[in-house]
Amino acid sequence: MGIVQIEVDGLYRSQFGKMLSSLLRFSGDIDLESAEDIVQDTFSAALVSWEKDGLPDNPAAWLFRVSRNRALNKVREAKKFSNKIVEGNIEPEDPVVQHSPLDDQQLVLLFACAHPDLAPKVQVVITLKYVVNLKVEAIARIFGLTIDGIDKMLLRARQKIRDERILFLEPSAAALTSRLASVHKILYLIFNEGYKSSWGKELIREELCEEALIMTRALCKSAVGNPDSGALYALMLFNAARLKARFGKDGELLDLEEQDRTLWDGDLIRLAVTHLSASRGSGISSYYCEAAIAGLHCAAESLGATNWDAIILIYKQLLRIQANPFVELNYAVALYYGGYKEQALGILHELEKQAFLGQYYLLHASLGRIYAAEGNKELAREYFRNTLQLTHAPDEIAFVRRLINKVE
Amino acid sequence: MQKFMFIIKEDLAELEKAGNDERQRCIRVMTAWVESLQESVNFLSGSPLEVEGRYVVRDRVISDGPFVEAKEGISGYILVDAENLEQAAAIAQGCPFVQQGRMAIEVRPLFAPNNAS
Repeated sequence: MGIVQIEVDGLYRSQFGKMLSSLLRFSGDIDLESAEDIVQDTFSAALVSWEKDGLPDNPAAWLFRVSRNRALNKVREAKKFSNKIVEGNIEPEDPVVQHSPLDDQQLVLLFACAHPDLAPKVQVVITLKYVVNLKVEAIARIFGLTIDGIDKMLLRARQKIRDERILFLEPSAAALTSRLASVHKILYLIFNEGYKSSWGKELIREELCEEALIMTRALCKSAVGNPDSGALYALMLFNAARLKARFGKDGELLDLEEQDRTLWDGDLIRLAVTHLSASRGSGISSYYCEAAIAGLHCAAESLGATNWDAIILIYKQLLRIQANPFVELNYAVALYYGGYKEQALGILHELEKQAFLGQYYLLHASLGRIYAAEGNKELAREYFRNTLQLTHAPDEIAFVRRLINKVE
Repeated sequence: MQKFMFIIKEDLAELEKAGNDERQRCIRVMTAWVESLQESVNFLSGSPLEVEGRYVVRDRVISDGPFVEAKEGISGYILVDAENLEQAAAIAQGCPFVQQGRMAIEVRPLFAPNNAS
């Protein structure tokens, strides 16, 4: 890849959403599709022009100027050029391009994407598109969908974005507060999407975790953040600390027991602990509970040395906040490791009778591991075989096969 | 956050014809969707329903009920948390079987005496 291509890609990642929202704010006559087209065309034009003449002194300013001129032409062509053009300069105040730090404008965009009428998954997709500035192909890969599937999802969202002028109007102060919970959820989902082990080691996954961390840190530092933001940040940091240890030298998935705990990042863990204690607010959020559980895992020298009684208590708390069978499953697993075998198996077998949970691979995988640990090879094998029927992710299949071999 | 019930409707006669294996396969697809609802912290509970049932009116129990033949019979329910009715509907729209036109979902807020609107 040439230097110009790298520069253009970098600028795309840092400027796409900002250019888009500034065009929308620049003229009320430009709709979202046209604005996106203009910004895309501007990047194509930049590639051609810079390959030929070399990089301009200030590439970001070049992009903003060219996209604005193209927008002006478009508006003129449409003969709508009247008094609707907002006076003023749409170039960024500081056109020096940095890749990562989330600035205010990006934070505003993030809150715009957290529109309460959109489904959480759509909020995530448009955040990845307009705030993280990922291309549709990359977003499709992340969700294991086709580009067409993502386009369809965006099509419905676009109508809403257009009608409600979602990327165009800055959310009000009241909206900022009421949308904070949705923003947390978006960031949580982006991080988890990056952290999901089922996809194996993919570079784009780690980038997602990184983007989520950057945005969450910026949120914590801003005036809008609250204790939940800090708890969420701590949760991400605890998990990020273990990122590198989750795969073996052949790229195979490792569980908590197999991970080399010396590879866990002590600096990140310490940072997480600081944020977690600072986030103890009046009410305890699900993020706080999840972070506290992750923190207890990080603090343990081995799986056996984990403070399971504390983890069990936190799961009880989490079940009060977020009562659903998936949380119950995790609670039961903690009970088992804490030595409450009968209670754990009782819950797991009850969950097995539920239609949805009965088809959930992690329930079968958990039962398989418990029966393997109990020395009941026959039941262990049966549950592992069920697990294989219920998951399609290659890394997980390889992982379960390894568990089956261990039983033999 | 408000609570909503997704009342899942499909052709029950078709469902009965399809048999148990096919139904298990469908439930597996629904489970993957439910798992995604759980990830976004929306899922509370839910279950598919058996096709058989009883229909009860004032003075008699109609054994088979009118629903076995129903084109849009209730085949399951899911309880979710959502920001508002719009968002709940947008979430329901994401159901893979709704996308395929095999299911319809009626989205209804649970009655909440304190925020009657």
